[in-house]
Amino acid sequence: MVTVSIEKVWKIYGRIPAVKDLNIECANGSFLSILGPSGCGKSSTMRMIAGLEHISAGEIRFDGRRINDLAPKDRDVAMVFENYALYPHKSVYENMANPLKLRGQAEVRIRERVLAAAKLLEIAELLDRRPQELSGGQKQRVAIGRAIVREPKLFLFDEPIAHLDAKLRAHMRGEIRHLQRTLGTTVIYVTHDQLEAMSMADRIAVMHEGVLQQLATPREVYNKPVNAWVAGFVGEPAMNFLDCTLEETGGQVRFVHPTFRIAVTPEQARLLEASNRAQGIRLGVRPDALTISLAKSKEESMTGRIFVNELLGGDMIVDVDLGPERVRVKTSTDFAGNEGDVCYITANRDKWHAFSKETGRTIF
Amino acid sequence: MNSIAADRAKPGAGLFRVRQILDNVEAKPVSTALTWPATLNPAASKRYYFWLVAPAVALLAFISIYPFFWMIYMGLHDVEIGSVVWNDFANFTRLPSDSRYVGGWLLLFQYSAMCLALQIGIGVFLAVALNGLRHEKILVTMLLMPMMIAPLVAGMVWYFLYNGTFGWYHWLLQSVGILGPKSILGSPDTAMLAIVIIDVWQWTPLITLITLAGLKRVPQDQLEANMVDGASPFVNFISVTLPNLYPVLLIAIMLRFMDNFRFIDSALVLTGGGPGNATKILPIYLFEVSFKFFKLGRGAAIALTLLVVTIILGMILAKVFDRLHPKRT
Ligand SMILES: Nc1ncnc2c1ncn2[C@@H]1O[C@H](COP(=O)(O)OP(=O)(O)OP(=O)(O)O)[C@@H](O)[C@H]1O
Ligand SMILES: [Mg+2]
Repeated sequence: MVTVSIEKVWKIYGRIPAVKDLNIECANGSFLSILGPSGCGKSSTMRMIAGLEHISAGEIRFDGRRINDLAPKDRDVAMVFENYALYPHKSVYENMANPLKLRGQAEVRIRERVLAAAKLLEIAELLDRRPQELSGGQKQRVAIGRAIVREPKLFLFDEPIAHLDAKLRAHMRGEIRHLQRTLGTTVIYVTHDQLEAMSMADRIAVMHEGVLQQLATPREVYNKPVNAWVAGFVGEPAMNFLDCTLEETGGQVRFVHPTFRIAVTPEQARLLEASNRAQGIRLGVRPDALTISLAKSKEESMTGRIFVNELLGGDMIVDVDLGPERVRVKTSTDFAGNEGDVCYITANRDKWHAFSKETGRTIF
Repeated sequence: MNSIAADRAKPGAGLFRVRQILDNVEAKPVSTALTWPATLNPAASKRYYFWLVAPAVALLAFISIYPFFWMIYMGLHDVEIGSVVWNDFANFTRLPSDSRYVGGWLLLFQYSAMCLALQIGIGVFLAVALNGLRHEKILVTMLLMPMMIAPLVAGMVWYFLYNGTFGWYHWLLQSVGILGPKSILGSPDTAMLAIVIIDVWQWTPLITLITLAGLKRVPQDQLEANMVDGASPFVNFISVTLPNLYPVLLIAIMLRFMDNFRFIDSALVLTGGGPGNATKILPIYLFEVSFKFFKLGRGAAIALTLLVVTIILGMILAKVFDRLHPKRT
């Protein structure tokens, strides 16, 4: 259990910066998720925390104590590696027992812990095998097992369940979350899967190209993204973006697009006023904040043509062409529109966002 | 919070609360009684391999298998110039009572064990020290030089270094007072060490080279995982690096012990088995029997026993390392 502070940290490989001026504070006992696309520097950050990679600039502190120069074994962290990193000449049991053995635990206790972890991860029947004889998902579970047999100060998970099947992944999400709650151990969890980050983390650090974009609760990241990039990265299906201009008539501010003119709320009008709107505005609205209908409603709406319907079990996603652009709308399965039909879309004005077209910064 | 603490106080319980995925939630897979297929498709033909290796095998048969059988034939006869006489296995039955034969074995084992221990020890140490150095390539090249020298020439060089009148080492060791009045090669105590040292000097670089290649293949991620698990660099070396080196060390040990059992060029130049019989390892004795006394039948018999022991030792070695590092696919 430890508070992790990452302060002005850089990781530079040769001349290529992979992590740029990173500042993250991870509270004692909390679950922090680092979320970002491939190559954004997530693993580099983890490796610096674990002590496997030199910290090019800045410092990392555990409970206020600088750990930059501490050897990995003295940091008391447990890590699950992206590529499993199992010991091929050891059995699954020995792999999982390794951290306890290295710390001189009694054989009885090692056995008890390993068996408990194996049971949790549903790999009890694999304990005598060697890693080469396991599937990718099984290897990954052994790697998780090796980390959780110990009670370290800090867990580092680097995409630990990326190779499991969907059902097991959902199961493991719950287990890892529960384990963290039970132990109260601080967890830093790297993933590129926003669903994982959303469902497990207390706070999410969204990274892009080595730069921290936003550090906030899942709810806040989803509802109040700091910029268009975060808004587009988080959420499935992704947020729709439409380039608009603004028009002011009769005291009403409206978004203007070739296919619609829709008024904003007075509060939003004020925020737009305050921003530099000469640059143009990008309207962002999530598929579930849109309502589609075949009949024109009294409200101001967007007029489009249905491109394709996708059935997703309980819901339906409708792709609609709005002039040159395409938006996706989430609706119920009894929506009767067919491909090619003209349709009308209204937006929930409390849930839409406006971004500066130039900088991507959120206006509201 | 209290219940968690209570849970954790109980040994063997509590920490992991196992949530089962209930059976009835999972759809049972459809099961049908399967019968084994009536015919299995034949495995892909590998017959062309035969034709690929046939020429090599034929050549080998001619230059190596034929002499091998000829050796067995000689071992069973008294071979003199112009006469070959069957002697009821006398070449073999007389061996156990030949003190120089038995002594040759003991000396050979002693010699080979010392050579191997020193070579592997120093070789691996050097490889670890060199691995990842900035000037690794240049240093390795320099290190390899002893290997490039013909063993006979190496023997001559060291002969001069050890020489009792003008040898540099002789002078050095005597001035320091380690060496008694006798010369290095002249005293039974030091002569064995002298031929061990030359073998170590010449062949340690090979071990270093092989080990370096092995070190490059040690998976970085395993080293890192072990570090995070709590290993110090030394423990890390023992528990991850070394097991990954076993296959290359096996090759190194095989090569070297077989060479020790075969190559006697430098030892022959240096001591010729002397002083007395102090360095008369079995291959040197074999050389004397066959080519000094021209007892070709007896020589062949000794050579056969040497060959059989070499093969058996090789097989044991392979087994031992297989146990340490099982390879399963
Ligand atoms: N050892 C290295 N040498 C040079 N560049 C590296 C090294 N390791 C990583 N990089 C670069 O640093 C950047 C960040 O890499 P990192 O492994 O941290 O990404 P990541 O966010 O973990 O991606 P992924 O989701 O694919 O695992 C990448 O552009 C990568 O090419
Ligand atoms: Mg990564």
